[in-house]
Amino acid sequence: MNKGLKSGLVLLVLGVISGTLLALVNSFTSPLIAKIEAAAQYEALKEFFYDVEDPNYDTFIFTEDYGLVKLEVDEPGVEAIFIIKTKGTDNIEALGYLAYAYGNDSDVPITMLIVVESDMYITGYTVVSHKETPGWGAAILDNNFGVTTLIDLTGFDSVAGSTLTSDAIEECFVIVAARASDDFGGGLDD
Amino acid sequence: MTNTENLFKGFVKENPLFVSVLGMCPALAVSTSLENALGMGIGVFFVLVLSNLIISLIMSNEKLAKLVKPVRIPVYIVVIATLVTIVEMVMHAFLTPLYNSLGVFIPLIVVNCIILGRAEAFAASNKPLDSVLDGMGMALGFTGALAIIAVFREFLGAGTITIWGSLSLELTGVFDFIGITPIAMFVQPAGAFLSFGLILAAITAIGNKRTEKLAKGAIK
Repeated sequence: MNKGLKSGLVLLVLGVISGTLLALVNSFTSPLIAKIEAAAQYEALKEFFYDVEDPNYDTFIFTEDYGLVKLEVDEPGVEAIFIIKTKGTDNIEALGYLAYAYGNDSDVPITMLIVVESDMYITGYTVVSHKETPGWGAAILDNNFGVTTLIDLTGFDSVAGSTLTSDAIEECFVIVAARASDDFGGGLDD
Repeated sequence: MTNTENLFKGFVKENPLFVSVLGMCPALAVSTSLENALGMGIGVFFVLVLSNLIISLIMSNEKLAKLVKPVRIPVYIVVIATLVTIVEMVMHAFLTPLYNSLGVFIPLIVVNCIILGRAEAFAASNKPLDSVLDGMGMALGFTGALAIIAVFREFLGAGTITIWGSLSLELTGVFDFIGITPIAMFVQPAGAFLSFGLILAAITAIGNKRTEKLAKGAIK
């Protein structure tokens, strides 16, 4: 048999073994990872809706007055939408977007939870997952990006030294801004 | 080379970071805290030891080595990438805070020069046991060097030393005693280069003194 073909076959066999091994490891780590990611989303939501200490958020104790529905969305840029409705009615009080973006030329996504009210006012936002440089890049977690409404994103304030991540975060706001008004206007029913 | 020499040469004599100056990118990026340094060290240890073992097993079989030789670099990369992906998945599932903290530098272990370098320079032409010992020594040497840089940076930059999780040493009292605040620059990228340069200079100076002493002793 041709020598090159034999070497190629060796590489193929190695690839198959590697793939099998990875599938095996993935089979027991993926349920745990899914649980961890769900917990991170829940923690992020709690930041906005369980903050009973803050009088500004008194109206968002949705355990008593509001209901929450998670809508899985299979669209580029949006992973899921949390619909917060007044209990017993169809009124949407706020929408929480689990949006993701990559930033310029980056292949590592940033996931954000951005909560918006029907007047496009941003209730709050938080970074759910990121892959920034340890220490320095983690500054994005508690940063105020200077945006309060989806109608005007021109005031977006990047973090110096974390350009790609800042770009990705700005992209998340743009993605949410592009669809929020439609969603409040009945777009979610489709 | 004896087994002991194979194990210990990576600690000081052929330390991958301070002597060979390999694997600088992840080393400087994750050495913001001792916890990150130890986490990266554990990941590199697992990958380096197992990749050395697997590559040595493949290359010590004459027939297999002949077939693999023309495609050895892709073979090394497949082996290393598989091991790194396993480390990444396991860390994500069981050590999530560390996984988040190390970020993109876990998958980047694939392109760490130390791992590919040891595979090509040592494991490919040595017995499996020697290769495992070499991998262990190099990984421990790398972790030790990372820990030294991390302690230096974290202490000067934040006044703390985070050992693991919530276990940390609060050393801000030292700064209070001197009457200054920690120098935040040391936990930033510029501080990484500065710290590495200072530590490397100190090690080189000690090495030179030692060589000088040995030379004087030989003349006498």
